[in-house]
Amino acid sequence: MTVRRAIGPSAWIVGGAGLLIGLLAVWLVKQGNPGNMGLCVACFTRDSVSVFGGAKAKMASFAYIRPELWGLVVGAGMSAFAFKEWRPRGGSSFLLRFALGFIFIVAALVFLGCTVRAWLRLGAGDLNALVGVAGIFAGVAVGAWFLKRGFNLGRAKRLEGGARAAGGLGLLVAIAMLAVVIAYASGTTFSNLTFVSKGAKSTAEGAVLTKTAVVKPAGASLQDGEIVAEDGAVISPAESVAKAKPVPGGTRAPLYISLVAGLAIGVVAQRSRFCTIGGIRDAILVRRWDLTFGVLGLLVGTFVASMALGTFKLGFEGQPAAHTVFAANFLALTVAGLAAVQMGGCPLRQMVMSAEGDVDAFAAILGMFAGAVFAHVYGIAATAAGVTTNAWIALAVMGTALLALGFWKSRAVA
Amino acid sequence: MREVDARGLSCPIPVMRTEEAIVDGVREIRVLVDSGTAKQNVANQLKDAGYAVAVAESSGEWVITATAG
Repeated sequence: MTVRRAIGPSAWIVGGAGLLIGLLAVWLVKQGNPGNMGLCVACFTRDSVSVFGGAKAKMASFAYIRPELWGLVVGAGMSAFAFKEWRPRGGSSFLLRFALGFIFIVAALVFLGCTVRAWLRLGAGDLNALVGVAGIFAGVAVGAWFLKRGFNLGRAKRLEGGARAAGGLGLLVAIAMLAVVIAYASGTTFSNLTFVSKGAKSTAEGAVLTKTAVVKPAGASLQDGEIVAEDGAVISPAESVAKAKPVPGGTRAPLYISLVAGLAIGVVAQRSRFCTIGGIRDAILVRRWDLTFGVLGLLVGTFVASMALGTFKLGFEGQPAAHTVFAANFLALTVAGLAAVQMGGCPLRQMVMSAEGDVDAFAAILGMFAGAVFAHVYGIAATAAGVTTNAWIALAVMGTALLALGFWKSRAVA
Repeated sequence: MREVDARGLSCPIPVMRTEEAIVDGVREIRVLVDSGTAKQNVANQLKDAGYAVAVAESSGEWVITATAG
């Protein structure tokens, strides 16, 4: 037998993909995306669902359909068709995958980022992400232990006949999302949907204003730098208006830039099989380094681009969309990392697989929709100020549930 | 010859099952897969392990045939 090659040509291809995604992500921030958030599957899923009834769930400040995310799905779908890898399939524990997607995003929103954004944050100098990445390693190590014991969610089956249409659900949702955001950007108003206007800011008192007008509360206006209600009462004094902070949903790159970047990332991710979880999992389990190169590429690309653009900032304090609660950062991504191993790949890969016709991956995405709302309605999602008691409870419950699932599903399949 | 039926299995189980065959020193391995991800990952794994690899498509699935060099 020939000597085994630790690093083959494929490793460099995945590494190149990671590098490109890192460079694009930093560039998207430069183009207007929130700090260290060129791409975040958890945040962007949350932002996108906020558009649909998010005002009721106190998610209005996030409300924007992120074209990067849905462009990624469409790009991956085009690539799957072009390379004849479109395969409608499903039936491997649909409901459990829904639950895993749900748990993944709730945990990720306690860290403030998915397993992709963790690396983007680290590459840009956010040391809280180093704690988070340590958590991913811990979660993946636990997941690998279950896999060695035979953990699996059962075989997916090829979909036949009319059922093949179900394979298109992921793409259909992505196309619908893009259609709505393009219509919105072209001036269509949707009475039932919430959108935050670009550049919108919010004061400590909760008033929302754009460059030209006060958009919330209704009837309020800007007078001598103060926000004044219809009845003349001052809502936000001038110093508060001066300190108004941009709302997350209003912080974004131009739509077509986001869309094209998303499409490109989708094609690259589909071709390369880039996976932020696989990069650690395969190294632990089978000493395969291909996907590890992808993660390293992502880190290097983010670091190089951040240095080149002068946005690199090393430290724990004052990092964009981050908090400094060590234990929460670690545990949140331990839970998210374990959930991702159990569903067979990171959320970016679930997006790509849903675009390839995988209905089970689509279940995970639906779970993420539900989890995003849950995390905000029940005050589990963290803010820059820190984490809530509910977040700790949620992490404990979800971590226990994942361990139980691990033992339950650890048996060989035929 | 050993056949590994990895159809419908999530990552990384196809790679793990293939790894068992490689470690056992099996000189001819056939792996059945039905997703592009598994196809690519398993083919790369076998190539890196020094096998000559051929991928054939039949009725929507892929058969990866690997022969030790």
